[in-house]
Amino acid sequence: MKEIPIEVPVEPPKELESLFLPIPKEYVEEVYKKDEFLILVGPQHPGSGHMRLIVRVKGDIIQEVIPDPGYVHRSMEKLAENRLYIQNIPLVERPAIMDSANLNLGYVRAIESALDLEVPERAKYLRTILAELCRIGTHLYDAAILAVFLGHTTGFMYPFGIRELICEALVRMTGVRFTSSFIIPGGIRRDVDKATLDWLYSATFAIEKRLKSFERIFIRNPTVIARLKDVGVLSKQEAIEFGVVGPFLRASGVEYDVRKVEPYEAYDNVDWEIVVADEGDSYSRFLVRVNEVAQSLRIIRQCIADLPQGRVINEQICDSPEIRGEFFDRLADLVLPLGEFTTLTEAARGSVIYTLVSDGESNVTYRLRIVTPGWLYLRGFMESLKGERLADLQAIYGSFGYFPPEADR
Amino acid sequence: MDDFTKFIHSGKLAPLKKWGTKWSLWPVHLVTACCGAELAHAFASGYDGERIGALNYGIARQTNFIIVEGAITRKMARVLRITWEQMPDPKFVIVMGACGLNGGIFWNGYNLVKPSEVVPVEFFIPGCPPTPEALLRGIRQLQKKLETGEAESSVDFYDLRLQKGKIPKMLPKSPKRISENPLIIVNRAKEVDWAFGKELCEKLKALKLESVVITAKNRIAVKVSESNLKETAIELKKLGFDHVKSVNVIDVPAENKFIVEYHISSYSNKDLMPVIVNLFTEIPRKEAKVSSLADIFPSADYMEREMHDFFGVEFKGNPWKGKFLLAPDTPEFPLRKDFKLQEEIYVGD
Repeated sequence: MKEIPIEVPVEPPKELESLFLPIPKEYVEEVYKKDEFLILVGPQHPGSGHMRLIVRVKGDIIQEVIPDPGYVHRSMEKLAENRLYIQNIPLVERPAIMDSANLNLGYVRAIESALDLEVPERAKYLRTILAELCRIGTHLYDAAILAVFLGHTTGFMYPFGIRELICEALVRMTGVRFTSSFIIPGGIRRDVDKATLDWLYSATFAIEKRLKSFERIFIRNPTVIARLKDVGVLSKQEAIEFGVVGPFLRASGVEYDVRKVEPYEAYDNVDWEIVVADEGDSYSRFLVRVNEVAQSLRIIRQCIADLPQGRVINEQICDSPEIRGEFFDRLADLVLPLGEFTTLTEAARGSVIYTLVSDGESNVTYRLRIVTPGWLYLRGFMESLKGERLADLQAIYGSFGYFPPEADR
Repeated sequence: MDDFTKFIHSGKLAPLKKWGTKWSLWPVHLVTACCGAELAHAFASGYDGERIGALNYGIARQTNFIIVEGAITRKMARVLRITWEQMPDPKFVIVMGACGLNGGIFWNGYNLVKPSEVVPVEFFIPGCPPTPEALLRGIRQLQKKLETGEAESSVDFYDLRLQKGKIPKMLPKSPKRISENPLIIVNRAKEVDWAFGKELCEKLKALKLESVVITAKNRIAVKVSESNLKETAIELKKLGFDHVKSVNVIDVPAENKFIVEYHISSYSNKDLMPVIVNLFTEIPRKEAKVSSLADIFPSADYMEREMHDFFGVEFKGNPWKGKFLLAPDTPEFPLRKDFKLQEEIYVGD
């Protein structure tokens, strides 16, 4: 169909200044001239966390999306430069509290790589269990939020019902539901007793059983499939180019998982598979995470079965079997050697990168660079929206599990 | 106040209105930070907040209740105020989480605002994050206040004071030790058993580089001059590196320079997958300009914008102008070392 340009004397709204749009005025004028629309999605919207998407549509086809992040930017990198190394441990797990163990682990591993600190085998296994529990919890959280985005309230209730079991497991192991700060340089804070692990072992089967009914209600639901299938496709080439991470990269057919590529903790001792899909659409992004939950349960069971006996904290840090009561005395004066230390960790939503820069004299970080998965896949998320209908925006948003507190840090 | 409003508030039907408000506290969706995870738990199947008449609702115009979930940033404060103004009367605000109360773990951050300075707050629920039980108790307290008109705390705090004569003479000092003239070296060599890396280093040395150093297993630091940065990035792309994992700027005021780093890695080449090449260059602090790699690696785009916000380093070639992550009223270039945060006080009284 031939397009006939019409010169319509329309003016952009006068209150444009008060909207604090991060885009230039000329851009808005250009959109108005071309008979297109700018739609502001957010900041207050019924989703998870807040960000603004400036969506440029023609008809109801999305032409371009400009993100306006930073609504939850809590200045984490600057704060980290003003605290002791160990005081940063609670700080770095705040970006995504449901995924606290993974974010915590990345930072602690950066310190350990700097000090060449060995972690006892038992601590490694327990860390793996914690990390996988948080991974399951985050994937369930994202599944629930996806269900809310699609208007499926039952699909929201089921994963949160299962998440209660995860929270209970974390409470029994670490003492708190979310932000445990349990992983510390050289090991973990406390040993976990056998009764708790036995409970956790049987809980994995309970989770699996409940997931089956979730599958019947939500995952295999024809309405859900119709909403998600072939929507927001990211090809393999695009995913690589825009640096997408984690399950979203694997959904586009790239076999990349930090746990396999650069194994840490107990991941090379247990038997598990990378979950990969080829389609790269919203549904496969969701399915990859669903299948990862099954793999995580498998890892947890193996870890509990093969859990070695022994210490949970390195002798160099602390002589007694646990660091109870002497945490500050032992670790406050930690000084890292001169240099830069980068670690890569697979958090639930993708790889998280910590770069620690130390001057070799201070017991305070010189610079801590945190790049969370949300921030890395934001570009790919924006690209996948192009060419889709406006009504599918929420489905794609949900399929990425985008969590602004995590992306903005 | 007209007659009708007066009748509603103190007429014969006033108790009915009170009762109605009490059981229909509908919070608007305003997930301001990570406490939202616990809020979701409170209204999901485990705790079922709906049984006390509160259920999250999407649109501000049809709600009468805001639960501020944790940290309010400068950007979000405006949204909070606008949302609050959009709601019909009577409206209530409760704040959950330590960040909303007094800043919590982020108390001296440059981007944080106290919600009580933005909107009138009825109750605070402390915790980081508070449990769903605590949140539901906060809502119950608000209902009680609506019913009786009096606010009361649901927790008894012990009044602890330092007794006379027990003040220690040696006051605790800050445990922090910060070097006066810090030396920053990002490419300190380390001996590692990594044959592939040595091979890769030989390949890299053929390019026009200042130095190539193995800093740890799977980590290579490559130093280039600013003018060669783009060329080297193109060469690295030819070698199979295809995305940027992190863009980092380090401020070194002692040596009057910025170190700009690009952490480059690969997804398409299986051997290069674990390798991270730290491509870095040094630029003077006064004229902080560096060429952008966003056209070679699109994944670097947003992080370059972020670094421009944080440090004021201009990335030549990146089309974005203005602020991206920070609010219009955030202090300029907050991550530079000369921007100081408030210090903790280690002496209590």
